[in-house]
Amino acid sequence: MLFKVTLMPHKTEVWLPANAPLTDLEYELIGKLSIPFGCRAGACGVCAIEVIEGINDLGEKEANEASFLEELGYAGDRYRLACQCRVLGETTIRVADYTE
Amino acid sequence: MFNRVKNVGFENRMPYLNALASEKLRFEVDTIIDGQIERWYETVPYAAHLEGKTVDSEYYRRHLIETAWRIRLLRVSESKALAEIAKRSPEAAQIWANYEREEMLHDELFIQDLVRAGVSREQFLATEPYLSTKLLTGYFSYLLDHEGPLGVVAYSYLVEYVNVKLEPKKIQALKESVGENNIGGQISHSHTDINDDHPGEVWAAIRFLLRNDDDIQSLKRYLAEHQSVLALYFKELYEDKIGSTLQKAA
Repeated sequence: MLFKVTLMPHKTEVWLPANAPLTDLEYELIGKLSIPFGCRAGACGVCAIEVIEGINDLGEKEANEASFLEELGYAGDRYRLACQCRVLGETTIRVADYTE
Repeated sequence: MFNRVKNVGFENRMPYLNALASEKLRFEVDTIIDGQIERWYETVPYAAHLEGKTVDSEYYRRHLIETAWRIRLLRVSESKALAEIAKRSPEAAQIWANYEREEMLHDELFIQDLVRAGVSREQFLATEPYLSTKLLTGYFSYLLDHEGPLGVVAYSYLVEYVNVKLEPKKIQALKESVGENNIGGQISHSHTDINDDHPGEVWAAIRFLLRNDDDIQSLKRYLAEHQSVLALYFKELYEDKIGSTLQKAA
């Protein structure tokens, strides 16, 4: 089963298999604007994203991820670390600190 | 002057297979393993013994001993594999390191069940592993020295896939035959494999190690070879604990 991940603001659409890590975006979007990834272990915060749609379709947010995001200034359910997410449904996301 | 540095893992970071192609190959590999499982039950003596209503206690104890030894011996080669994987793919190395972190001390779970089965820690330590267990360790060393880490990682995929598929049935049977209170370690081990999606984790590492079609063919060959080496163990276990007893009785 494939799910559509839409990356804002350019509405870039990527289809990923169920349970795929969001880090796959890097390999599916070569040469295009993607999410920056760092440690891929939930420790650096580089890949903080805002989930515009489908917050429940990116897997469970662990307590340590939530507290780290809060520390980074991204309090609230809508923020995630992309490297900790698994695609479980259709979602729309954008880089948390994205500015035009 | 040219830069002599190599084996740093960043020569080609793009996986050979994209996400969809990786899923397709995984399905193909799973189908191959399903076929191997069928042949396993047909050809390996006592293959379904631990899934039966009664369990031979000597066979059961020795199986736990060898399982704990296998984890102890292979974690050394699997740690060496981490260095080889890091040379090829740091992404795969990160996944492998996390998997090894979760698996590293799982021998203790089996030793706890051994104690419950009447084998002390001292008795366990005084029991030398079977030759087949040592040979599996030797095969890992050969792979790392001469073929690369893919074969070592392929072993874990085979074991994790089979565990998730068959362990629940075996655990259920052991609850009846050995008693739920006596298999707490094995239940916890099974929980880790299933709840942490260990097959998925190991597959993610494999994906980053596959660099061409030859690697894919190698992966399929490794699955068959590992099954052959594991069958040696089950034959040795059967001969030691069941076959020899039957011979004496005859």
